[in-house]
Amino acid sequence: MPKGLVHSKNDDVCVATTDIRKGEEVICAYLENPSSYVIVKSESDIPLGHKIALRDIRKGEKVLKYDRVIGVATQDIRKGEHVHVHNIKSLRWGK
Amino acid sequence: MTSTIKAYVRENGAVGVRNHVLVLPLDDLSNTAATGVAKLIRGTTVIPHPYGRLQFGRDLDLLFHILSGTGANPNVAGVIVIGIEENWANKVADEIAKTGKPVEVFPIEGNGDLRTIEKASRKALEMVQEASEKQRTEVDISSVVMSIKCGESDTTSGLASNPAVGVVVDRMVDQGATVMFGETSELTGAEDIVADKMATPELREKFMKVFREYTEVIEREGVDLLGSQPTQGNIKGGLSTIEEKALGNIQKLGHRKVNCVLDYLDQLERGKGGTLCFVNTSSAAAEAVTLFAAKGSVVHLFTTGQGNVVGHPLIPVIKITANPKTAAQMSEHIDVDVSDLLDLKISLEEAGERVYKYMLRVLNGRLTRAEVLQHDEFSPIKLYISA
Repeated sequence: MPKGLVHSKNDDVCVATTDIRKGEEVICAYLENPSSYVIVKSESDIPLGHKIALRDIRKGEKVLKYDRVIGVATQDIRKGEHVHVHNIKSLRWGK
Repeated sequence: MTSTIKAYVRENGAVGVRNHVLVLPLDDLSNTAATGVAKLIRGTTVIPHPYGRLQFGRDLDLLFHILSGTGANPNVAGVIVIGIEENWANKVADEIAKTGKPVEVFPIEGNGDLRTIEKASRKALEMVQEASEKQRTEVDISSVVMSIKCGESDTTSGLASNPAVGVVVDRMVDQGATVMFGETSELTGAEDIVADKMATPELREKFMKVFREYTEVIEREGVDLLGSQPTQGNIKGGLSTIEEKALGNIQKLGHRKVNCVLDYLDQLERGKGGTLCFVNTSSAAAEAVTLFAAKGSVVHLFTTGQGNVVGHPLIPVIKITANPKTAAQMSEHIDVDVSDLLDLKISLEEAGERVYKYMLRVLNGRLTRAEVLQHDEFSPIKLYISA
């Protein structure tokens, strides 16, 4: 059973649908075609609803979810790491 | 296949799904007398609020729009208006009277609270008995005006509960019903997608004007909205930025064109058939639901991730979540749990069907959890300071 869902095939993040422990191999299914999936090894504990990086993202790079930019990385993020307010920020609001 | 429901057809042909006798205080000073009536007379609903004195301009117009619209709501059988000054109370009562439903004004000046409560209670007694004889009759679902909003959202809202509501929205619009959505600030980052859903260039321009005005207020105040948008609850639930929140938010709009844009003071046109309408609202749950109800919504679908508990005194608010923890920890607030959609155990269509069927039961009379828990939030929007 998948433990994460990805909105769109170009997305950089998978959303955890259950609490995930560091070191777990997480099956992330694509919502557009739920029989397709990608497996990512979790580099951190990820609470239900939080995001895991599906690729290495460098500081300053834009982050895609829903095939849209949801923010920019404020530091380097490794594949499998927790993606949240500590390492991405809005391009619209917030300093 | 078109659905039918059993509902109350009002004097002006509008369809209600509840049968309240409303005691409406015009201003903050009239709350005590209005509450006094509600304590004496079983079957009345009172909606205390903190406004109505020395407001002016667009702000006063908006308060009157909300008060008279709330009284005119098809879920209301009759209205008792109580105000400190008679002429102000009459302004609201006259608007409500245009629906043809019984409405009566009781001024406090020259009477005092006790005499006002007595006179108003005698009238309320008659109205409740009258209302108790009103029967539900079978009507087409196209006569339903509904609204949608999410609150304490998290990533599960964008993944599952909002798209499930989107299925219901499509179905309602296709059957000729009216659906309102709003949350102007929470479209930030997805406003272009909403603009692209507008049926005409004129609607697109009106929507973008409303959106820009809202954004300008935020910019003029020079505030950093991070922490309030997304909220702390949103962030706890995994939402990182306003863009991410907005993209999740719009999942509940479904796939139909938006053929109506209403700014604060605009009235919803009834009976156009198959209407999806953007309404300029704040994203605060109680304020938005209050404005939707004032514009004629008789039922509200409310998705929540981390667990928003909002209700409304007159319209049923159906709470839907896809977060399994929230469904378990706050079960008394949740009407429909679609968390199995996260595990892909059901399809999106099945989740939408579950919400739709539940909504039909509520339209036919089943009380929502917010109604049973007496979540009677009534929060008129205030635009600026009073005189």
